Amino acid sequence: MVTKSEETQLNSLENQVDNGGGGAWEYLCLIRKLKVRRSDKVLKHGLSILNDPKQRSTLGNEEWTLYEQVAVAAMDCQCLDVAKDCIKVLRKRFPESKRVGRLEAMLLEAKGSWELAEKAYTSLLEDNPLDQIIHKRRVAMAKAQGNISVAIEWLNKYLETFMADHDAWRELAEIYVSLQMYKQAAFCYEELILSQPTVPLYHLAYADVLYTLGGLENLQTAKKYYASTIDLTGGKNTRALFGICLCTSALTQLTKGKNKEDKEGSQLQSLAAKVLEKDYKQRAPDKLPQLTTALNSLTLSS
Amino acid sequence: MHVGIRAMAEDLVLDTAIRDWVLIPLSVVMVLIGVLRYFVSMLLCSSQTPDAKIVKEGQVILRARNLRTGANFVPSKSFRLRKIYFCNEENGLLFVPKGQVQNPQAQMFSDPNMAMDMMKKNLSMIIPQTLTFAWVNFFFSGFVAAKIPFPLTQRFRSMLQNGIDLSTVDVSYVSSRSWYFLNLFGLRGLFSLILGEENAVDDTQRMMQMGGFGFDPSKGLSAEKDNIDITQHDWALPYCEQRAEAVLRKVIS
Repeated sequence: MVTKSEETQLNSLENQVDNGGGGAWEYLCLIRKLKVRRSDKVLKHGLSILNDPKQRSTLGNEEWTLYEQVAVAAMDCQCLDVAKDCIKVLRKRFPESKRVGRLEAMLLEAKGSWELAEKAYTSLLEDNPLDQIIHKRRVAMAKAQGNISVAIEWLNKYLETFMADHDAWRELAEIYVSLQMYKQAAFCYEELILSQPTVPLYHLAYADVLYTLGGLENLQTAKKYYASTIDLTGGKNTRALFGICLCTSALTQLTKGKNKEDKEGSQLQSLAAKVLEKDYKQRAPDKLPQLTTALNSLTLSS
Repeated sequence: MHVGIRAMAEDLVLDTAIRDWVLIPLSVVMVLIGVLRYFVSMLLCSSQTPDAKIVKEGQVILRARNLRTGANFVPSKSFRLRKIYFCNEENGLLFVPKGQVQNPQAQMFSDPNMAMDMMKKNLSMIIPQTLTFAWVNFFFSGFVAAKIPFPLTQRFRSMLQNGIDLSTVDVSYVSSRSWYFLNLFGLRGLFSLILGEENAVDDTQRMMQMGGFGFDPSKGLSAEKDNIDITQHDWALPYCEQRAEAVLRKVIS
C-alpha cells in the first residue's frame, strides 16, 4: 500500500510535470517504485522523453526500463502500435530475453488473441516455472475471457506455492464476492487481515462479508470488525458507521427474546448515528432528512 | 573517535598527524576496497535458478509468521483452523518428518553449484579482510591512534591496544586495529548510500550467514511450528467496540 507521504509526493510531482515543470523522469521512477497504475500519464510523459533523442541519450541504460514501462502503459491504454514499436526496439537490443518474451505475450493478450497468448505464456512458464508475473497474467486472461472458474483454479494453484502474496489473496476474495461465495471470501479476507492487521480496508470488507452471511455469531463478529474499522480510521469511515447501525438493528431483531446485550450495543449505535448526522450536515446537508428517516426506521425496527 | 587535542591532567595529547595519516587513509582504503568488492561480486555472480520447493517453504514460513503476529485480529475459530492446517501431525504444512531433516545439509555439500557459490561468496569476503588486516597490522601498529570517548574496563586492553606495550595507558586509548574493526562494522551505512540501498556490502550479516547456511530451511519450518503451537489466541476485537465508542465520542464533541 502507498503511504500518505508517498501519495502527496506523487501528486505534487504529477502536478509539476503536467504543468510543464520538468521532472518527468523522477515522476516515472516514482510510479515504477510504488507500482501505481497511471498509464495515461506514463504514456504521455514517457513518450515525450523517448521521442526526444537528447533526453533519451541522457538516460543511459535506464532507457530500456523506460521502454518497458511505456510498453505496458501503452497496452493498458490500448495504443497497441506504440506498444509494438517499443517491444520491437527492446527485442532488437535484447534478442534472447525472457523479459521481452513476456512483453510480447502481453501484447498478444492485449490484442485479444487468447490462444496465442496462452501458448506463449505456457512456454515461458516451462522455462521459468516460478515467474509470479506470468502466473498472474494467466489468471487475468482467464478472468478477462469471462472464464471465472478457471481463473479461480489458476489463482488457487498460484497461492499454493506463493501463499504470502497478499495481492493475490485480495484478488481471490473479490472474485469470490462477485460469485457470492461468501464463506471462501471470508477466509481470504482473514488471510489479508493476518498479514496486514492495521489496514482498515480489510476489516471493513471482512465485516461486510460477515454481515452478508448473516446469522447471530457472524453478525456479532461483523459488528466488532466495523468497530475496529472505526477505531483504525478515527471515525471517518461512513460505511463502517452505517455498518454499525445496520448490524445492531439486525442483532436486536434476532435476539428479540433476550435482553442481555441491549445496553452495550445501543450506545455504539446511537453514537454512530450522531456522527453520521454530523457528517451529513457538513458534507451533504440536502440528504440529511433522508438519513434521519432511514436511521429512525432502523431504531424503530429494533 | 575523538582525537584529544586539549591537554588535561591525565589526557594524552595525540598528534594531528595521526588523524591525517592513519585514521583518514584507513577509512578511505576500506571504502575503496568495499566498492571494489561490490563490482567484483557483480562480475562473478551466477544467476541462481530458485528451487520451487525452497520458494514454497519460504512463503509457508512467511504465512506462518503472519499467522502468529496477526493471530489476535481474527476470530478464534479461524485461528484454530489455520493452526491445525499448519501444525497437523500428518500433513500439516510445517511438519517435517525426521527423516527429511538431514537433506538440506547433504544437498549443500553434494551440489557442486551451490558449493561453488558459497566458496565464492566466502572468498570474496575473507581475502580482502585478511589482506587489509595484515596491512593495518604491519604499517599501523605500535602507537596510539585514537581515544574512545567512553571509559572501558581492563579486559578490553588486549583487544584494543595490541601494539601498545605500556600497561599504564588508559584503555580508552586504542590502536589502529580497533579503528579498522570499527570501520569494518560501521561502513555499512556509507555503502548503502554509495551503492544503492540494496547493495550494501554487509559483512556482519554475511558472517552470521556463514554460520547458519545448511540448516535454515528445515529448522525454519520446525521453529515456526513450535512458535505457532505456543501462540495463544487472545482476541483483540471485543475491546474494539469500547475503543470505537471513545473515538466516536471524541468526534461528536
